[in-house]
Formats: sequence, structure tokens, C-alpha cells
Amino acid sequence: MSGRVAGLAALLVVLVLTCGLSIVLGARDVSWHTLWSAFTAYDDHDTAQRVLREMRIPRTLLGLVVGAALGVAGSLLQGLTRNPLADPGIMGINAGAALAVVSGVMLLGVGSGPASVWLAFLGAAAATAAVYGIASLGRDGATPVKLALAGAALTAGMSAVTTGIVMTHIEALNALRFWQVGSLAGRYLPVFWQVVWFIAGALVVSLVAGRLLNGLALGEDVARGLGMRVGLVRAVLFATVALLCGAATAACGPIVFVGLVVPHVARMLCGPDYRWIVPYSMVIAPVLLLAADVIGRLALGRGELQVGVVLGVLGAPVFVGLVRYRGVAEL
Amino acid sequence: MRTLLALAALVLVAACGSSEGGADKAAVKEGRWSYVSGNGETVKVDHTPVRIIAHSDEAAALMSYGIKPVGIFGNEKPAENRNLKDHDLDGIAVLGTAWGEVDVEKAAALNPDLIVTDWWPAEKAYGGFENGVKAKSKKLADLAPVIGGSQGKSLVETIAYYEGLAASLGADVAQGADEKEAFEAAVARFRKATAAKPGLTVMAMSPADDMLYVGNPPYSPELMDFGKWGLKVLAPKSPDPSFPYWENLSWEKADSYQPDLVLMDDRAWEQSQKIAAKQPTWKSIRAVAAGAVVPWPAYWIHTYASYAEQLDELAAAIENARADIGS
Repeated sequence: MSGRVAGLAALLVVLVLTCGLSIVLGARDVSWHTLWSAFTAYDDHDTAQRVLREMRIPRTLLGLVVGAALGVAGSLLQGLTRNPLADPGIMGINAGAALAVVSGVMLLGVGSGPASVWLAFLGAAAATAAVYGIASLGRDGATPVKLALAGAALTAGMSAVTTGIVMTHIEALNALRFWQVGSLAGRYLPVFWQVVWFIAGALVVSLVAGRLLNGLALGEDVARGLGMRVGLVRAVLFATVALLCGAATAACGPIVFVGLVVPHVARMLCGPDYRWIVPYSMVIAPVLLLAADVIGRLALGRGELQVGVVLGVLGAPVFVGLVRYRGVAEL
Repeated sequence: MRTLLALAALVLVAACGSSEGGADKAAVKEGRWSYVSGNGETVKVDHTPVRIIAHSDEAAALMSYGIKPVGIFGNEKPAENRNLKDHDLDGIAVLGTAWGEVDVEKAAALNPDLIVTDWWPAEKAYGGFENGVKAKSKKLADLAPVIGGSQGKSLVETIAYYEGLAASLGADVAQGADEKEAFEAAVARFRKATAAKPGLTVMAMSPADDMLYVGNPPYSPELMDFGKWGLKVLAPKSPDPSFPYWENLSWEKADSYQPDLVLMDDRAWEQSQKIAAKQPTWKSIRAVAAGAVVPWPAYWIHTYASYAEQLDELAAAIENARADIGS
């Protein structure tokens, strides 16, 4: 018990350090002096100080909440489906959210404000239902492989439609890359405030849900025997996942791998108890997302690489490693 | 099996032969036709082409000389294309309304004898056949020879290319003399304006949500022309090696370049203004803070008439610009 608390505390320290790096490092070199004055004697005519206060800090905050949302969504989903390959990216949930936002904003003319978060939420919920429904067809139910296949197929289909919609609206052509891979760049405080309450609420529900996930992990019959209302619990938790993924996607576009890899890392560190996996994921995921974002800012020299691309590149070998050495099927 | 295939081939050949013998034949002029394309290769057809499929901007150039294509494809719906707005599109099939997408089946049904679209030397590809275009759409090139002016070192050359191409296709290009005259006058005004402001510097920019794209003059024919006519168009220091049209500048470093006047990509003018306004560093470009932002007609002009119009507007902007804003 105390070991897990210490582990979580250590991870929090790492998270704080990562946030620090995310504020200090970026395309523009910022001196310690500028950093100091940005907080003690803010001068909004100083471009470097504005970059810190109005770009780096909002970007870091956004990475923090979106990372937490994706990591927790992944751990909930893996617990709910008892499927080690369940991931909001792989299962098409983020792609569904992206498609809903793009259709709403470009076809129906819904503003890109809070309405887009609700749209993303609906899209995420619909995609979750569709993928789970398709994977459940057949005698053996929603096996890990079927879930991943259904998710991959629907992701491809929905991304293609998203691309089609964005491409035929020339005024939004530059939004295309964003809706394909996701990015933390160029999105500031208004976007953060738009999603933070949705995510905070869903995170609270998730933290409370650890015990329920442990029950579900024993299998539906056992959970029912323990007096759990399995149907209701699953519905609430799936809705929570959709809300987390919807809000994250509305803010940053579809981001993959965080939700897949992070719960496995958490499980390695704290064992199979979801009362710990959820908070561990909540801390590890933003570390991963922000670190990937910082790498993307520095990797190219002058321009920036989108965090979605960095995660794709880093995530694939990490995932292969996980499968290879830990045997993810032991969930 | 082999005989069956041969039979099928025979039937196909016969079918093609009969359609060529149809109504079109009367319109086809006798004799071989050839013309040098923007990539230096000579394109040959055994008759003067009359059934042309063209990329929308290039189609507008041909139509301004009275050559009407049978089909067009573009990066947007025809109604959203400003080159096409003055032309009658009745009877022209629309084969694509998004970048990289062409309905080749529909195009094949038009039985084209020439495909007209710009040559992009940086990408070594014709418009509609670049990297990223679906293989299915690229099959358009199997229907007929492809030809087009180069988006190279001068837009004047590109425009003149389409004038020449239209003439070779049978158009009377002399009727465009008035437009040409207006264009010459606009160039003269532009030269005069730049001569009066020798220290004035400009930069071409295209704002996007996650980056500020800075135009690289050697890869923009109109920026090259502006330079020839006396305007100091600054070049970005490190253009993207794989897509040298632009330097991809992080918004954090938007103030890296300080021209006196910003030419902003006008292809999605209102959207671009909104996107830029959201960025805390957009106004760290002093010209932007001073309101010195004017439209850059980026990569779309194909006729003397529209070039004249845009040059007049730019000349007016230069006449009113201050040369002491940038550094």
C-alpha cells in the first residue's frame, strides 16, 4: 500500500517536472530571466513573455487534462471490456468524435464552442456502441482481436469521411492535418476552458469507479453475485469513457496510443488493482503526452511535429515491446 | 481462354472505333497537333484536340479565349472558384471538387483527347497527379495526354503559355488585346509604386491553426514577378526541404521576420484572418500590428485580366505602405 502511494507521489514529481519542461522548452528559446519576469513583472509587449504566458502555459494545461482524459479512458475501457487491446484510439472512439465535430461544424454550421464538445461526446458514444456492437457479433463475443479489428475498420472508414468533409471545404483545408493526427499546438485557453469541466467531472467518476472495475474484472457473474448492477455500471462507465474521449478529441483532435500504452505501464507499476490503475494512468498519461509534445516541438528545428505523429512513432515500438515482453493477454 | 480474350479485345476495339466515327469526327481538324508542355516534353495528338478536360483555373484561362472544355476538376466547387465566376459552365461536366479527387469513370465517358493542368516543377508533377493524390484519380492520365503551363519562375510566362496553347487549339487570341493592355498598364503602375518605395520589404504568409507558413519566393511565380518589378520580397531562412513552397514557422516564432508589409494568402482570406487573430503572436509581426496586411493572390491567377486586377490592388497598397515598419 505505502509502496503504491510512494510510487504515485514519485510520478507526480515526474509530472511536475514534465510540465516545467513543457513550459521552458519549445520552438522559441526563452531565457530564465524572461521566465522569471513573465510571472513577476509581466509585460504583454514582450513577445517572449507572451509566448510563455499565452501559448506555453495554456498548451501545457491542455496537455495535462487531455492526457489525463485519454489515459483514464484507456484504463476504464480495458477494465470494462477486459480487453488489453482496448484503446480509445484503436477502438475508433476518437475518430468517431472527430467525425462528429467535423460534420457538425462544417456541414451543420454548429459553432466550434461548447456545442462541439457535446457533438464529440455523441460521436464518441456512437462509435463506442458501433465498434462494441460489431465486435460482439458471432458466438465468442467481443474478443480482443475482434474489438481491435472492428475498431481499426471503423476508424479507417470514419477518418476517410472526415477527410472527405474537410477537403471539400476549402476554407478549412488547413484544419485537415489537425483532424487526422491531433495536435496541442495553436490551441489556447478558450479551448482549455471549453473542455476542462467535462474532463474533471468524468475523472472524478473514474476515480470512484476503481472498485467497480475490480468487480467487473472478476467476470460478470461474479460481479453480479457480489451485488453489483452490472448493466448500469457498464452503461455509466462507457458514457464516462465517451465523455473523456469526446472532450479530449474536441480539444486536440484524434490522438492515439496514449490510452493504449498508459494503462499497461500503470499495471506494471502498481499491479492489477483498478483503484490504483486509474490514478496511476491519470498521472502517467499527461507525462507521456507532454513529453511527446515537447519532443515534437524540438525534433524538426524550426517547425513543429504534431504530437499525434510523435506518439504514433514512439507508441508503436513501445506497444510491440509490451506485447512481446509482458504478455498483455494476461489481463 | 486465349481466344475468348482475343474476341473480347476485338469487340472492344470495334466499340471504340464506332464511337470515334460518331458526331465528334466532324469537329476534329485534320492533321497532327503538337505542343510543348511546361515540363519541356512535346505532347502529340493525331488531330487538334477538341474534347478537353481541364483543372478549373486552367479551364478558366482557356475559356477566356473561347475554348470550352468538356469537363473540369478542381480543389473546390466551381461556384467557389473565382476564376470560373465569369464563365458559363453549362454543359461542362464537373469531375472533382476536392484536391486529389477526380471521377475517372465519368471523365472516361467524356472521351477526352487532352488533359490540361499546371505543371508543378517543385513536385515534378501535374496538378491532380501530385504525391498524395489517390491512385484511382491518377488514372485520368490514361485517358488522354496531359499538358500544362509551368508554375515556375514567372506567372507572366504561365499566363502567356495558356494564351499560346489556346491559339494552337484554334482560338483567336487577338481578342484578348484589351486585357493584355490593362495588364501592361497595371505592371507599369506596380513598377512605379515600387520605384517610389525602394526600401519597402514584404513577406508572403499563410496562417494555419498550428503553424505560420511563410511563402518562399523562388517557388511562387507571382512573388518572382513582383521581385522582377522592383518589390523586395524577403525569403524565409529555412524552407521545408521536402515542400519548398513554405517555411513552416512555429507560431511561437512568428516575430522572426519583420517585413514592412505582409502579403497574406488570399485563397481563404476570411478564414485565414480569423485563424491568425487567435494567435497571441500574430501581432508580434509589427506590420500586422500596424494593419499593413494585404491579400496575396497565391497560385490561382491564370489570366491577364485577373492579374491586372490584383496588381492594381497591390500597387495601391504599396503606394500607401510605410517603409519604416519592419527591420
